[in-house]
Amino acid sequence: MLATLAQAVINGLLIGGIYALVSIGVTLIFGVVKIVNFAQGEFVMIGMYISFFLASSFGVDPLLSLLISMPTLFAIGVLVQHFLIRRVLGLGDMPQIFLTFALSLLLMNVALLLFTANYRTVQTAYSESSFHIGPLYFAVAKLIAFVIAMLLSAVLYLFLHGTDLGKAMRAAAQNREVAMLMGINPDRVFCVAVGVALALAGAAGSLLMPFYPAYPLVGQVFVLMAFVAVVLGTLGNITGALIASLMMGVAESLGVQFVGADSGLIVVFVLLLLTLALRPNGLFGGWAR
Amino acid sequence: MAEALVIRNLSKRFGGLRAVQDLSFSVRDGETVALIGPNGAGKTTSFNLVTGYYRPDTGSVSAFGRELVGLRPHDICGHGLARTFQVARPFGKMTVLANVMTGAFLRNRNMDIARSRARAAIDFVGLSAKEHTAARELTTIDQRRLEMARALATEPRLLLLDEVMAGLNHAEIDQAVALIGNLSKRGLTIVIVEHVMRAIMAVARHIVVLDHGQKIAEGSPREVVANAEVIRAYLGTGYRHEVPPAGTVGGVAC
Amino acid sequence: MGAVKSARFTRSWSWVAALAAAGLVLPVVVADPFALDIFIRVLLFAFIGVAWNLMGGYAKQLSLGHAAFFGLGAYTSTILLIRFGISPWIGILAGGLVAMAASLPIGALCFRLRGPYFAIATIATAQVLMLLFLKFRDFAWGAEGTTLPNLGDAPLMMQFESRAAYYYIALALLTLGLAITYCIERSWIGFYLVAVGEDEDAAEAVGVDTTKIKRHIYLISAFLTALAGTFYVEYIYFIDPNTAFSFNISVEAALVSIVGGIGTLWGPVVGTVLLEATSALLQSWLGSGHGGVQLTVYSLILIAVILWRPNGLIGLFTDLYQRFTHAGAARARKVPFDG
Repeated sequence: MLATLAQAVINGLLIGGIYALVSIGVTLIFGVVKIVNFAQGEFVMIGMYISFFLASSFGVDPLLSLLISMPTLFAIGVLVQHFLIRRVLGLGDMPQIFLTFALSLLLMNVALLLFTANYRTVQTAYSESSFHIGPLYFAVAKLIAFVIAMLLSAVLYLFLHGTDLGKAMRAAAQNREVAMLMGINPDRVFCVAVGVALALAGAAGSLLMPFYPAYPLVGQVFVLMAFVAVVLGTLGNITGALIASLMMGVAESLGVQFVGADSGLIVVFVLLLLTLALRPNGLFGGWAR
Repeated sequence: MAEALVIRNLSKRFGGLRAVQDLSFSVRDGETVALIGPNGAGKTTSFNLVTGYYRPDTGSVSAFGRELVGLRPHDICGHGLARTFQVARPFGKMTVLANVMTGAFLRNRNMDIARSRARAAIDFVGLSAKEHTAARELTTIDQRRLEMARALATEPRLLLLDEVMAGLNHAEIDQAVALIGNLSKRGLTIVIVEHVMRAIMAVARHIVVLDHGQKIAEGSPREVVANAEVIRAYLGTGYRHEVPPAGTVGGVAC
Repeated sequence: MGAVKSARFTRSWSWVAALAAAGLVLPVVVADPFALDIFIRVLLFAFIGVAWNLMGGYAKQLSLGHAAFFGLGAYTSTILLIRFGISPWIGILAGGLVAMAASLPIGALCFRLRGPYFAIATIATAQVLMLLFLKFRDFAWGAEGTTLPNLGDAPLMMQFESRAAYYYIALALLTLGLAITYCIERSWIGFYLVAVGEDEDAAEAVGVDTTKIKRHIYLISAFLTALAGTFYVEYIYFIDPNTAFSFNISVEAALVSIVGGIGTLWGPVVGTVLLEATSALLQSWLGSGHGGVQLTVYSLILIAVILWRPNGLIGLFTDLYQRFTHAGAARARKVPFDG
């Protein structure tokens, strides 16, 4: 019994790492640009398809394809910020919500048209392998994904706290007007923020490929997890998003293990509604308002 | 004389910041009181506490005999307190007339009555010519006028004005002072937060001075201007105060 | 004079009368059942859009979960019909009441949030309802849903041989929605709604009980949306959780208003006509079976509207009309909300 519990927790943590990459992206964009990116899941999907096609056409291992998917999505992020998001900043809730929402719809349906709804998978040498520590079993692909996800999160943390650009981003997140007065160019900072967030989403996609299928609507599941984690972890708080994502992964896993196979989604929704009801400001009253 | 507003031991902190500490003062019915202090002293926070946007940690606020703490802003408005915001917040999509009518509906939901009351308020602040202009197209100063008209349309007994004079030129300040004087003559109790000394001297009978969330002085304009604590708060400790000639306040003839 | 002073063409009663006349006569002229079906869908989705617009357009409470009320309406009337033999004419009202009741706790929860997080919360509530109904085998048929009993021509049970009857019901629903919107617009409620939509804090400062207003408009919006749900189920003789609580319904409810003219009387109608016309054109060019084309086009239209005409396309039409008829363009310059 304890072993089952521990296993569920481990499985939850491992997938939680992926959720973390997606939710950190959402919370980063929200903190800096003050906009909720409804399309974040679709960028995960794009990352997955990039890795899929690199693997199936050129035999590139998905983990290696990180080197392609991340920069590509960074570039896409810069374009999205510069040509789309920038045009709706300051216009109020409706344009901001529905722009990224429309983008999400667009990407999903274009993917449907281009790739059909078929599941695409990639088999790697380690897709099926696992190892045991006592009664606990670790899927290699998931473990690697988790480790890389944590590494990327650490790199992001260093970037935000150690580099000038990162500090500029945090400054712009805390107080845009003052940051501008200090000479920080908001558009540049926003482009980087969105670029980084999408790069993380792309990374999530590539990391998922060894053990998860790609299909046009795949992003929806992950973005839902991400939103709950972002709210739970307090809007704009990156560490909060990370911790909350891991918690979400565990909660979902426990739900699947002990309640029922299809209860994962209900657990998530219930968690979201509970959070909204009891602690709408999230678990960590971060610096975002 | 009855007290229009009584504030007792009001305190509010935000995390580590004590925005307002143990603030107490009263405003007599029909009086015009100025609330002054350096930036960050807690003036707007006090307004927000009085009008129900923040809940105080301790203390009480009562207006016309009614306890206000715990009430939502719209209830407080219903009890006769109206306020303007430091940065004007008009309903941009609506015209001037529609904005003010929204305020008028508080007292009477009939369209025609609300419209005529709104027009009276608009006329009072001098915006009649722009009645059908969309609020978002007004100049900042007109938006402030609009905000005042909208507040007046709710038929308040106590009006809280937050820095209405900021950025006005001399003539405009005189106009605003005249407006406030008119309101006072109508019996309105007024509390203004201001930095423009000329205006304060002209309208306020009584001044309350805040610094770092605490009341550091209170009294008539002449008393307050001569107060050492007040001078220190605004100018720092390096200033040596000289007694101004009799018949003036701070060098200004009064 | 009313609260909304839009361009004179939309306020002119002669245009409305012409439209109404055309609307009433249409089924007589158009006999083809497929064409009539399109019109019925246009009327229905315009109605759903109008119901959404009251909340999302005027009060700017941008819900993406209105399918919750659509589904509750649909299921209430169907359960009453199949389990208790109660006529859908009563069921439709019961569905509306159930939706209203549901809007209270949903609102209590969701209104704590502003902006995008309100939207996300509404999505979540609609999804939770869908998941619940997927599980309720016992009295709500679970995931397979159920077909409605075909009673032939049974007007008292809201079933008709002729498609025209459904058309008139849909027309009546749309008229109801427009009438309610029109009355609200010209009353203090309309002003308060727009005030809440523009700036809740400022609205509170002038005595608007924003919580109550939001709650009340949610009640109305939920009620109307539920009516649409019952009608739809009666029209297609089928119900299941994926159809009744479909996210697409929530999306379309918002979409037609945004594209047509958010916060305006005719906006949702304009938006529905445009989007359904586009959809019909696409179908005739490409045939069906290209899953994703319709939504791709819809999302492109939405992006275009947001970037270039965030107030919706109705403004474009009224501008064109003024230019075309030289109808005192300078004076009738559209001011969104006037006294």
